[in-house]
Amino acid sequence: MEGRPEDDRDLFARAQRGDTAAYEEIVKRYQQVAFRTAYVITRSAGDAEDAAQEGFIKAHRALGTFRTGAEPRPWLLQIVANEARNRVRSAGRRHQLELRLAEGYRPGGAAPSPEAAAVASEDSARLLGFVNALSDEDRLVITSRYLLELSGEETAAALGIPEGTVKSRLSRALARLRARVEAVPGA
Amino acid sequence: MPELSELEARLTTLGRQVEWPPTPNLHAGVMAKIAAQQVIPLPTRRAIRPSHWYENRWAVAAAAVILALAALVAYQPSRDTIANWLNLHTRIKQVPVLTTPSPLPPGPIGARLGLGGYSTLPKASAAVRWPVLVPSTLGQPDEVYLQFPPDGALQGEVTLVYSARPGIPASVQTGAAVLVTEARGAVNTDFFGKTLGPDTTLQLVTVAGHQGYWIAGAPHVLVLIDANGNPRYLTLRLATNTLLIDEGGTIVRIEGNLTKDQALQIAASLA
Repeated sequence: MEGRPEDDRDLFARAQRGDTAAYEEIVKRYQQVAFRTAYVITRSAGDAEDAAQEGFIKAHRALGTFRTGAEPRPWLLQIVANEARNRVRSAGRRHQLELRLAEGYRPGGAAPSPEAAAVASEDSARLLGFVNALSDEDRLVITSRYLLELSGEETAAALGIPEGTVKSRLSRALARLRARVEAVPGA
Repeated sequence: MPELSELEARLTTLGRQVEWPPTPNLHAGVMAKIAAQQVIPLPTRRAIRPSHWYENRWAVAAAAVILALAALVAYQPSRDTIANWLNLHTRIKQVPVLTTPSPLPPGPIGARLGLGGYSTLPKASAAVRWPVLVPSTLGQPDEVYLQFPPDGALQGEVTLVYSARPGIPASVQTGAAVLVTEARGAVNTDFFGKTLGPDTTLQLVTVAGHQGYWIAGAPHVLVLIDANGNPRYLTLRLATNTLLIDEGGTIVRIEGNLTKDQALQIAASLA
């Protein structure tokens, strides 16, 4: 169909046949989710950029191992996330950057009253504060699954754990987060 | 997918409110590095036998060889990546067919050789961020060319053109006696590459402590890989003997109908 974006699997199939233009399109399509996933793991934009870039390069080298017809996104995110974790390990230190709310965010995309917007923004800021304060394990699974909106399979690939473990870890993390939210009036 | 709890719904909304760092454009750097890595790393100095290691390798290969000099890193590297790349300027790839170069188009040498716009030494020096090196053995260049992206390297590329000098005739391939091209090697978008046939030889050399590569023999093809990682075949040109050195972050390419000693003398006089 004219103008319809090519299916990701078709792109991967072309890339596997050595089509570099197809791989470049893959990089363009996935660079945001790859970069953000790496950022959630490294907490550093510089390290995330390096990890995503190296991940794409390694993925290209490993295209022969990609199973035709499989979902490409989890496969790619796994490689990028591995790179990100390697960087965290080799750096031997943790960045302390925390996620922040974007300025000027308008809940729901409409134009709420200034009061409503302020309240919504305050709620979000408080919730983000709780997420930032979670343990690394809880923060990673919640951020990947909800804030990045990765699927269960993608979250498993990004965290390097089985999908079943994602479910149980997510359930425990949500329970801990809920307990903190409910312990603070108005949160 | 099961229905989201209120908390899960709030978290999903939160993800759209987060101030994520701007996503960098990774594709150009990725594709350029992939292009450079279609190749086998050149053995380190220690791994190279004193006698012509390349002769056996290439004789057995019976194929043309691409030397992709990834001297100019294709993306803004981080501190880690810079360290990794500092000693990784040369790669080799065997290819089944040697690309046939396009004939030189007519016109001024700058246009014919894709050197960029006509400039002068003071103007070019003012336009780039590194001190342009001039070989004192050749003196002031007869012409100076300057170019920036999309055709030149990210921080600019300066070429000094020298007409015939005593002992250095003008090349029928380039129309000049010596071309000296300089570009910064740390944050550029271009790679230099050369396609070497079996009659072309490669040697590692050292110039005032800087590593270099002497490429000599049959005229060879010069390929500039663009910022998207694609070889610029349209600007292929025949090059003559070439010395390429890394002058502490500035990549200098000296080419002409030169003997190796002449090229090394020119390189040693860069200041």
